[in-house]
Amino acid sequence: MAASQTPSSPQAAPLVPREPFLTKRRAFSIVGLIIFLGFFAIPIYQTILLEMWDSPRQLTQQIVIGLTKGTYIAVIALGYTLVYGILELINFAHGDLFMIGAFLSLIFISLFGLDPKTSSGITIFFSLLGILGLVMLCTAFLNAGIERFAYRPLRNAPRLAPLISAIGMSFVLQNVGIFLGDGLIWDKIADGLGSDAIGRVADAMGTQSVAPKNIPDLLPNGQVFFIPDSLKYTYKDLLVAVVSLGLLAGLYSFVRFTKLGKAIRATAQDRDAARLMGINADRTISVTFLIGGALGGAAGMIVGLYNGTALFSMGFTAGLLSFTAAVLGGIGNILGSALGGLLIGLILALSDQYIGTRWSNAVIFAILVLILLFRPTGLLGQEGGQKA
Amino acid sequence: MPNTKRYLTTGGVGFAVGTFFLWNYPNLGLGAALLGGLVIAALCLLYSAPLPDMIKAGLIAGMFGAVMTIVYGTHKPGVAIIAGMLSGLGAGLLAFQRSPQANPKKAAILGAEAGAIAGAWTGLALFVMAFVIAPAAGISAGDFAEHLSETVILADTLGLGSDILILLFAFGFSTLTGALLGAAACAARSLPLRPNIPLLAVIALPVLLIPLIDRAGNLLLLDALIPIYIFILLALGLNIVVGYAGLLDLGYAAFFAIGAYTTAMLSSPHLGINLSFWLVIWVAAAVAAIAGLTLGAPTLPLRGDYLAIVTLGFGEIVPILFRSLGGGPPGGTLTLRFFGMPIGIEQVDLTGGNKGINPISPPHLPLIGDFEPSNKIPWYYLLIVIMGLAIFFINRLRDSRQGRAWMAMREDELAADAMGINVVRTKLLAFSMGAMFSGFGGAFYGAFIGAIFPSSFDFSVSIILLCMVILGGLGNMTGVIVGGLLIQGADKMFIPKGAELFRRIAETKARAEDTSTVGVSALQDLTQQRLLLFGIVLVVMMLVRPEGLLPNERRKAELHPDDDTINSNSVAAEAEADPSLAA
Repeated sequence: MAASQTPSSPQAAPLVPREPFLTKRRAFSIVGLIIFLGFFAIPIYQTILLEMWDSPRQLTQQIVIGLTKGTYIAVIALGYTLVYGILELINFAHGDLFMIGAFLSLIFISLFGLDPKTSSGITIFFSLLGILGLVMLCTAFLNAGIERFAYRPLRNAPRLAPLISAIGMSFVLQNVGIFLGDGLIWDKIADGLGSDAIGRVADAMGTQSVAPKNIPDLLPNGQVFFIPDSLKYTYKDLLVAVVSLGLLAGLYSFVRFTKLGKAIRATAQDRDAARLMGINADRTISVTFLIGGALGGAAGMIVGLYNGTALFSMGFTAGLLSFTAAVLGGIGNILGSALGGLLIGLILALSDQYIGTRWSNAVIFAILVLILLFRPTGLLGQEGGQKA
Repeated sequence: MPNTKRYLTTGGVGFAVGTFFLWNYPNLGLGAALLGGLVIAALCLLYSAPLPDMIKAGLIAGMFGAVMTIVYGTHKPGVAIIAGMLSGLGAGLLAFQRSPQANPKKAAILGAEAGAIAGAWTGLALFVMAFVIAPAAGISAGDFAEHLSETVILADTLGLGSDILILLFAFGFSTLTGALLGAAACAARSLPLRPNIPLLAVIALPVLLIPLIDRAGNLLLLDALIPIYIFILLALGLNIVVGYAGLLDLGYAAFFAIGAYTTAMLSSPHLGINLSFWLVIWVAAAVAAIAGLTLGAPTLPLRGDYLAIVTLGFGEIVPILFRSLGGGPPGGTLTLRFFGMPIGIEQVDLTGGNKGINPISPPHLPLIGDFEPSNKIPWYYLLIVIMGLAIFFINRLRDSRQGRAWMAMREDELAADAMGINVVRTKLLAFSMGAMFSGFGGAFYGAFIGAIFPSSFDFSVSIILLCMVILGGLGNMTGVIVGGLLIQGADKMFIPKGAELFRRIAETKARAEDTSTVGVSALQDLTQQRLLLFGIVLVVMMLVRPEGLLPNERRKAELHPDDDTINSNSVAAEAEADPSLAA
């Protein structure tokens, strides 16, 4: 049984010989895959490749879109990777936290009365910066609160208990999203307080709480550089990429160079040993959730502004995408998540264009299964760093 | 008082939640919401109060009967009779659970008391219905009386003229049947037989009688009951995978979809294949079992949460597949290129795309003929037969060598492997067996609904099923059935009917005050909040009682670790409870 040879804990990893790559079962799967790909899929690949060859401009455009998407997928993926690294828990609710971030940014934008037509560029810029901070603060504390009440009591429970609790939290957060998106409730509050600003929120949400919400198009839409009759790369794309990469760099240096970051890394490696070294493990985990939540909220705001919509169920798909990205890059590894995010964004854009949007989720999942089967540690993951 | 804090918390939470939910109904008013909140707080307090076991059992079981009576009562007051029977039975079983009796006579007395309390409460709800809720919901006394005499069977036969007499009769009847069934159940439970045929007979009695009472009183309960039973069947299958083998499967709805789509493709005019349902149900189960193998084979090395994610992916892909394998324009061709040569593939509309497959042929039996959609009784009995067989087989399977292998693997895969259990075989069998039962469920569902759509098999279905298994108690069939009845009962009966009742009350009030009815927003519509409810159930169950309402003994021991793990809190608590330990 190959399954039984895999190291059962990271501590034991160096003592147990590595599992040979080609086990009987793997050999079976590989042969099956080759047969499948060879006989059934060649015409499809050929068609796709020829289509790419026919129009290099379209291909370049998709690559640009994919990389832009990839940056924010990477930001969400970091939330998964941080939490998984420290608790070995798939924080199912993280995707929905991202959705809450998008809703909160819409609420703050309406509260401040930002409007692309009337507000000046400077006002919009500084308000958006402020809103970004506010949203990150809210989602950070929301995430830490969820950890405190739904995960911490289960620290010593069987492994599936916190996962199930996280799934439950994900549904609760989705309903919070429906609640936040309910214009009639905002109306009630606005009437009660007699506040115009809250009335604007009610208008932005509309009467249908489950309908997609429009977020005003506040980011500049001009072309960054001009290539004759072709490539579209706007300031919006650039801003999204810059902010996302900035967050990634900030997080990386935080975890790498600060004392708290060191505590996070130590707790992730071995919680008990870290505790013996005088690290307050519970506080470190709370900090991790704060950071993860802040990143999720920021990503929610970025995506909300970039796509111009917020929907209560947007967290589920985004969560799956970014979880796959985290696994692809090597879960627990920050640079790996960034790389995985970019790759997943690229794959997503290409499959949207050449295979069809409705297949995108299936493609992403197929990739996830393949990674987990053949390289469960991901592209940059360390050997024995986690258990598949 | 040592428990003051607990009572305050319970009552306060109940009050807050009740008031909040009710306040969301426009026009209901803050006063009515506060009143409802108080009632709910009182119920919560009753639940946590230190009452004798049989009274508490009666109150808890009777609460469900009362809620059922109230949500169905405006138009079908006769439901009280079925609710009385069921809550009496439940109260008897619950009373026995709380204080087991060895003497059948004593057990019968205990059961009778609990059952009578439950039945009486149900009957009492009928009075509340008649004098408070029906007028508030805008149903005139005359209409209510008509509904009453129509649906309370035997009232005509006995020649009960006045409404009060009928109400009293219904009250007495539900109390009496509750007491009888409670006594019978409790007495049967106390018999040390195995298998306990008398207990099965007592439980089977109301289950088999429901369609007849339903038909006589025209209660239309079966429309809700059959889907509930189908979901319980699915949950029993999921219990094999999650409860026995310990493999968290978040994509179980996929097998349900596969079963239903197999049935739909093989027995409908859609593809021109019209096989008999009796053959197709086996084919569907076999196809689902094979799908279980195909999911299980590549995921063999995965454990725990990674397995959960991959099964979730499987559950997402399967509906996408069904959605995409059809629904295109008829006769369209897809052109692919094979080394430069164009190949035209004629697109066959396999699954009907988003529109689904409609209609699906119903089963046919010699004496009954085709099962009609309008007459639910044959469907109900067919489903009871399927469920009975499934429960029997799963029970035997659990006690078999295979079942013990599943549990050994759940406890420790490495140790099981070392003891000579073939882990690959055991895992694959768990997946395929679990999938097989959902294949049966899917086949029945397809034929019963008569049309299927890819949207009926999404992620929330898998989560609801998981919720049922966890609420009732992982690995315990009785628990899964109870959890299924609670969750599905809430999902398909209490929440939608309750929402309808609230809307009616709100509208009546608006009409009386001559204000226009405000549109009911999503939060105000209880049906939107069912997933919130399930999310809360999952979190709270994990925090408070991870072993479920009716836990499996071994599982319970596992989830409440004793001295072998360092858990200073529990050791201290034990020392406090038992001074001899501290010494």
